Amino acid sequence: MGALSGIREVLRLGRRKAPSTPFAARFKTFKSILERNNRVLTLMADMGDKLGGDYVFDRRYIEDACEQLSDQVFKLISDLSIITPADQAELFAAFENIRHFIGEELAGRRRTPDAPWILPLDALGVDSDEAAGKKMAVLGEIGKVIGLTIPNGFVISTAACEAFMLKNDLPQYVRQRFEGLTRQDIGAVEEASRDVRERIMAAPFPRALAREIEHAAESLAKRPNGPPVGLALRSSAWEEDGESSFAGQYASILNVTPAKAVRAVKEVLAGVHSPEAWLYRRHRGFQEHETAMAVGCQPMIDSAVSGAMYSYAPFAPEDEAIFVSAAWGLCAPVVGGQVEVDAFTLERRPPFECRTAEICRKTRKMVSSPDGGPVFAPVPEKEQDIPCLTEAQLRQLGEAAMRIERYFKRPQDVEWTFDAAGRLIILQSRPIIFREEPLARARQFDHIAAKAETIFSGKGAVAQRGVAIGPVHLVARPEDLLDFPDGAILAARYTSPRFTQAMDRAHGILTEAGSPAGHMAAVAREFRLPTIVDCGPALGLLKEGEVITVDATQNVVYRGVVKELRRYELTEEAVYEDSYEYRLLRRLLGKIAPLRLVDPNSPNFRPSGCRTYHDITRYIHERAVRALIRLSENRQGLLGAAARKLQSDLPLGLSIIDLDDAPCAGDKKTVLTVSEVCSEPLAAFLDGLISSNMWEDEPVPVDMGSFMASVTRTFGATPAGTEKLGRNLALVSKEYMNLNLRLGYHFTLIDAYVGENINDNALYFRFMGGVTDFMRRTRRARCIGRILERSDFRVEMQGDLVAGRIKKFHKARMLEKVRLLGALTGFTRQLDVKLRREADVERDAEAFLASIKNILEERDVTR
Amino acid sequence: MSPDDKTPRLRILVLDDEPIVVKRLKPAFEKAGYEAETFTDSESALARFMEKPFDIVITDLKMEGMDGMAFLEQVKTRSPGTGCIVITGFATLDTAKESFHKGAFDFVAKPFKLANIMEVVGRLESALAERHDG
Repeated sequence: MGALSGIREVLRLGRRKAPSTPFAARFKTFKSILERNNRVLTLMADMGDKLGGDYVFDRRYIEDACEQLSDQVFKLISDLSIITPADQAELFAAFENIRHFIGEELAGRRRTPDAPWILPLDALGVDSDEAAGKKMAVLGEIGKVIGLTIPNGFVISTAACEAFMLKNDLPQYVRQRFEGLTRQDIGAVEEASRDVRERIMAAPFPRALAREIEHAAESLAKRPNGPPVGLALRSSAWEEDGESSFAGQYASILNVTPAKAVRAVKEVLAGVHSPEAWLYRRHRGFQEHETAMAVGCQPMIDSAVSGAMYSYAPFAPEDEAIFVSAAWGLCAPVVGGQVEVDAFTLERRPPFECRTAEICRKTRKMVSSPDGGPVFAPVPEKEQDIPCLTEAQLRQLGEAAMRIERYFKRPQDVEWTFDAAGRLIILQSRPIIFREEPLARARQFDHIAAKAETIFSGKGAVAQRGVAIGPVHLVARPEDLLDFPDGAILAARYTSPRFTQAMDRAHGILTEAGSPAGHMAAVAREFRLPTIVDCGPALGLLKEGEVITVDATQNVVYRGVVKELRRYELTEEAVYEDSYEYRLLRRLLGKIAPLRLVDPNSPNFRPSGCRTYHDITRYIHERAVRALIRLSENRQGLLGAAARKLQSDLPLGLSIIDLDDAPCAGDKKTVLTVSEVCSEPLAAFLDGLISSNMWEDEPVPVDMGSFMASVTRTFGATPAGTEKLGRNLALVSKEYMNLNLRLGYHFTLIDAYVGENINDNALYFRFMGGVTDFMRRTRRARCIGRILERSDFRVEMQGDLVAGRIKKFHKARMLEKVRLLGALTGFTRQLDVKLRREADVERDAEAFLASIKNILEERDVTR
Repeated sequence: MSPDDKTPRLRILVLDDEPIVVKRLKPAFEKAGYEAETFTDSESALARFMEKPFDIVITDLKMEGMDGMAFLEQVKTRSPGTGCIVITGFATLDTAKESFHKGAFDFVAKPFKLANIMEVVGRLESALAERHDG
C-alpha cells in the first residue's frame, strides 16, 4: 500500500484544492520545496561521497539513504501539487519507476530476465556483468572508460543463454547428472560431463533467438568489399576473470562463419560443463546455480603479433616490472603454450623502457584459415629470430597495462594483439591475485613509515582513495592542462571540472580547496583517480616536476617513490571497488544522481523526461519557481505585502520577495535600498553589477564605460516603478536567491544557495538572448561559456543558451562567483554589438576576466 | 608507530554482521600496525575471545543472535582490561548511554571515515598504555 494510495490522495487533493489554495499557503509550500530540494541534493552528494572510499558504510546505510531520498522526492511532488496542479500523475509515474528499480536492486533482484538477448560490446561497462558476464563487461569498461581499443562485436546475454537452457530443460538435467558427485569421482564426473555436453549440442535453439544471433553475426562479419570475416565466440561467465580467474577453463571458438555462430554458442555453453571447469568451480567453492554464462562474439582480428602481459610480474615483485610474452600471429597459442614466445620485461613508468628481452626462434604461428578455424603456419625465415615487438610497440603495451591496472587497482593479466594495420587491441584483462601474509605486510609497512619523508599528512579530504606515484604538475592556467604529462600528479589551487581533460593521463589529483562531493571529485571517482581535495596551503610545499607518492588512503603525501605502498595496495585482499556494497551503491546512484534535465526550454523538460531523482527534483524546482513568478505577474494585489522594490542608481526595476519568516531591514518598508538587501547572494550580485562603475574611470580594453552606459540605457527604457512587477524578480532569503532578469531581449536566471555548510552550496546560471543574428548569438554564448569555464563553472551550451553550474565551494568563494555573475550580467549587454569576428570570442572573454579580476580580489581582501 | 619487530602489536577484534565493514577495517588496521581479527557473527567472535582475549574490541550493536551489548558484557567479564569501541548505524542517545554504562570507551556512528575510527583507536591505545604505566 503506502505509496500508491498516497499518490491517489495527493492527486485528489491537488485537483480539488489547487485552484483555490491561498497565496500564503502556496508561498509556504514554495519554501518547503526549497528546503527539500536542498535536502535531496545534500543526500545525493553524501551518497556520492561514500563512493570515494574514505568512508566505511554498510548496506543499512544504503537502505536508509535511499529511503530518505524517496521520501523527500515523494513529498516534493506532493508539494508541487499544492502550488500548481498540473502533471503530478506523470511525475508520480516517473517516481514510481525509479523507486521500483531501487527496491529491486536492494532486494538483490537485478533485472537480467528483461535484459536484451543481444548487447553491443561498446555499450557495456562493469555494471553489465550480470547480463554480459564479467569478461565482456570488463572489456566494455576498458573501451568505454579507459579509452583503449577493444574489438567491436556483441554479447549473447546470460538471459539469452538461459532461455536456451530452460527451453530444453537443461538446467534440470545438469543438476541430475552431477548430483552427489565429489571431486574424487573423476570417472563419474567425466561421464556426466560427456552426457551433458552431448545433450546441449543436440538441443535446438529457440527459433527467434537463433535468428537474432545469426542476423547480428552476419552484420558483424560483413565487409564492404571482400568475403565476410570470421568470428570468434568467447565465454563470459558471471564470475569469470573476477576473484577467480577461470583462466583457460572455458572455451573460445575461433574463426567461424555467421551460419555456424549458433552452433559455436552451444559449444561454448557445453564447455561450461567440461570436467576441468566443473572441478575448478568445485575447488573454488562455487555453487552450480551461481554459474551463468554469456557469450561474446567478435570478428577475428588479422593479428600481426599477439600475446599476454602482466602489469606487475608476480615472480619478481621486489623489483617491479611489466612482463610481456609475445609471438607472431593470433593470441590463443601464446596463452595456451603452443608456440615459442619472446619475453620482455619493462619498467612500470613512462617511457616504459625495456629492461630485458629474451628473443627465441619462432618457427610457427597461428592464423585464421580461409576455410574456417585457426591453423598453424610457418613463420618466414627472416622473421624467425628477430624480436616480434618494436620498442614503440612495447611502450604502447606498457602504457596500456598501467592504465588498466590503475583503473582496476589490481595487477592485470592482459591479452592483446596488434592488427595488420598496427593498431593495439585489448582482447581481455583479468586481475592477478597474489597475496601475502598480513603480518609480513604490516611489518613491511612499518619500514615505510620510518624511511620515507613525509611532505604533509592528514590534510584535506580524500575524494577517491588509492595510491599514486608520479611527478607533480602544477596547474594554474588552462594552458597548463594542454600538454599534461602522462603519469603526473595534478596539483591545483581549486577543483575544476576542466581537469576532466587531463584525467586519462593524470595519476592523481591534489587541490588546496574544494569539496569531496563537488563535480570534479565525482569525475575523479569515475576515473578512480586517487584524489585529495582541500589540502590548504600545504600544497605550496610541492614543486613542479618533483616525484611524490600520494597515499589517498591514509591521507599522506611522501617525497619520492614509495613503491612498497603501491605494492601494498595491489596485494590488498579485497579491492573496495569490487565489493558488493560499492557496486550496489554505484548502480543505485546511477538511477538517482545524474542530471539529464538541464535545459528547461528543451522539449524533454517534462515529467516523462525524468529518469532520475535528480531530474525530478530539478523539474519541480523549476516548475515551482515558474509558478511563483507567474503568480506574482498575474496577481499583484496578493503579492503587495510580500514584494518590495529595489531602489538603486541603476534603475533595475527589480522586485524582491523575501522568503524568510522575519525579513530584515524593516518589514514594513515597500522600498529597499541596495545596502538594505540582506540576502547575501543578492547583495553579492548587485555588488558585482554596480561596482563595474569604477571601470569608467580608466580606459580598459573592452570599453567598460560604454558597457555600463548601455546597461543603464536599457534599464532606463522603462522607467523604474512603472515596470510590471515580476519581470525582474528576486525570490530571496538570507542564503538563497532565485533571480529572474529580463533585460531587453536577454533572459538571465540565477539560482544560488550560499551558506556556511559547504555541501549545501550551489549556484546555477542560465543565459539566453536575442537581438542579433544567430551567428553572433552563438558567439556570444561561447564567449559567456568561456568566461564561465575559466571561472570553474561546469558549462553546458546549446545554440544561444548557456548554463553554468558550480557547487560546494566555501561561502566566500561562492559569493565571489555570484559577484562575477553580476558583472557578467552587465557585460552581456554589450556583447550584442561586439563579437564581429570569431577571434573576438576568446579575446573578449579574456579581457572581461582581466578587468574584473581586481574587483573580485579587492573583495577578498576586505572580507 | 615503531618499526621495531620486538614490540608486541596490539590485537584488535572487529565484530560486525555486515562483511563489508570488517573487510574494510581489517586491512586499514593492519596497515596501521595492529593485528586484526574479524568476525561477522557474535558466537564465533566470543569463542575466539574466550580462547585468547584481545587488547581492543570493536563491535556493532544490532546483530542476529547475541547482540553487541551482550557481547560487550561478556568481553568485560572475561577481560576487564580490554578497551571497547561500539560502532552502530542506529546511534541514539539511549544506546550511547547504555554502551558507556557497559564500559565502552567510545561510540562511533556508522557510516564513519577510516581516519575517524583510527583516531578513536589511537586515543584508546594511549589510554590503555597509561593504565599500564600507572
